Amino acid sequence: MSARIISFLIIIIVVAALPWLLTTPYWRGILVLCAMNVLLALSLNLVIGYTGQLNLGQSAFFGIGAYVSTILVKTYGWNFWLASLAAVGAAGLLGLALAAFAVRLRGHYLAIASLGFAVITYQVLINWENVTQGVRGIYGILPPVGSTSALFYLVAGIAVLVYVLLDNLVRSPIGDTLRAIREDEISAASLGINGAIWKAFAFGLGAAIAGLAGCFYPGFVGTLVPDAFNIVESFTMMAMVIVGGMGTMIGPVIGAVVLTFLPELLRGFGELRLMIYGLALMLVVLFMPGGIVQAWMALKARIS
Amino acid sequence: MNDLLALVVQQSVNGVYLGCLYVMVALGLTLIYGVLNQINFAHADFVTVGAFAAFFTATRFATKVLGLPDTGAYLLSMVAALGVGALLGLAVNAAVFAPLRRGDELRPLIATIGVSVLIENGQLALFGPIPYQFDSPFSRETIRIGRIFFSAQSVLVVAVSAAAIAALYAFMRFTFLGKALRAVAQDRETAGLMGINPNLVIALTIIIASALAGMAGALLGPVVVLTPFTGASLIVKAFAIVIIGGFGNVQGTIIAGILVGIIEAFTVQYLGSGLIDLVVFVLLLVMLVLRPTGLIAERKEENV
Repeated sequence: MSARIISFLIIIIVVAALPWLLTTPYWRGILVLCAMNVLLALSLNLVIGYTGQLNLGQSAFFGIGAYVSTILVKTYGWNFWLASLAAVGAAGLLGLALAAFAVRLRGHYLAIASLGFAVITYQVLINWENVTQGVRGIYGILPPVGSTSALFYLVAGIAVLVYVLLDNLVRSPIGDTLRAIREDEISAASLGINGAIWKAFAFGLGAAIAGLAGCFYPGFVGTLVPDAFNIVESFTMMAMVIVGGMGTMIGPVIGAVVLTFLPELLRGFGELRLMIYGLALMLVVLFMPGGIVQAWMALKARIS
Repeated sequence: MNDLLALVVQQSVNGVYLGCLYVMVALGLTLIYGVLNQINFAHADFVTVGAFAAFFTATRFATKVLGLPDTGAYLLSMVAALGVGALLGLAVNAAVFAPLRRGDELRPLIATIGVSVLIENGQLALFGPIPYQFDSPFSRETIRIGRIFFSAQSVLVVAVSAAAIAALYAFMRFTFLGKALRAVAQDRETAGLMGINPNLVIALTIIIASALAGMAGALLGPVVVLTPFTGASLIVKAFAIVIIGGFGNVQGTIIAGILVGIIEAFTVQYLGSGLIDLVVFVLLLVMLVLRPTGLIAERKEENV
């Protein structure tokens, strides 16, 4: 067996064992949150890490997934899975809409455009009260499965599936294409790569995955308010990707796990613990731009 | 007809006054972009810190310790906010912009997002989430001309921002440092060859920009709901203004700031206050697509 398959099996075993190790409802809830964050970090990494497009609007797609699936279930009586499929589609389409800007803009301008995009989505969720209930929120949302550990297995299973899918994607020629765009768009174009199409692909797929994560969020929390999809959520996701190590597959997973559990372990420090996201983001960018993965590689190289 | 005219004049007055506040915030962003081609995402959080510094100076230190009258205390608090802003500028330059001068252009932006999260949650831990009531002696007084009403605070805001803009203009036009600043904005390397120390000029620009942000906080504190997240709601609007005015273009930023203020005032009048951000950001995205260079086409010699 190759090292890849062995490490994959280890991950499966660890994931399967987790609800037995953390038995209180509180920590099981954190596990579900962690699996969701892994999905979100994976989705953003495809856009920021592999395609090199600084997208500050990922919270919008998370929100679209959550709202579209919940409204279809609650108001129109759809089946959860069918509603989720529609929600993923809606998020993906919206990702393509943002890609229309990404094709024309780069660098700082794209960052601000994506931020504006997220603000507009957030404002629509607040103001379109007939459909979204605005700031009053939607209540009494049921999860698709009964228990918290079942929900964890569901979301974590999907996260593992998405990981495998993306892992194969970035190893394929498509991954090379995306990396070529990240490194130098003009050189990539000279090799016959259509930057616009592949950027749209990355934004659309990334948005669809974030939308998928969004489908499970409302049932987990039980309520749905626009504030859950504030632009700060985009920064949290970005912190996970960058702290873990963007442009690697395992990095964002590590970042999501660390930045989900660390604030919980720091609960004793009250509000100060929320500073950890900002501090981690700043320190990593300054001192180890490749994140935890790079630091680990450097450590391994020094030992051997 | 007369009623309509009075309404239009009243909202225009409100808009100009709001716009002046926005200009004070957005000018710093545009100045930094002009010389450094970088975005300080924590810029609007400097406004919040300035507002809190002014609040505590005015309500605790100046009145209780120094025994100053209200007006004197408020004016002193503006100076304190200016100083705190300048210190923050010094710090963010030393911690983020100076070390990240070379390398990926988006790293400083990401690092300052970390700074922003850090400042917001640090303030949350220190000051709590409950809004502060910051009364300036000028906000209590209302002036009436014909059928138009405005507060003395708004007169102060317009006067201070006009003075700040005039001082900035005089500094840029007539002083050696101002000339050096424009030279660095035009071409950093050539300016370096002419004996200008670009690092010093960049540091100075960031300090001036941040001092302006701090003072804007003192002006803004009595007008808005003062919470640790006041800056967060302001930063995206400041970006909108900077983009509409043309990144790095000082004149454009001033015009765009006042324009956005007026648009906001009329949005409140005709569409409702909930839709302000929506209107401004749709305008931002439209501008980005149709005219990313801003309202005024960039003339290089004016591009500070």
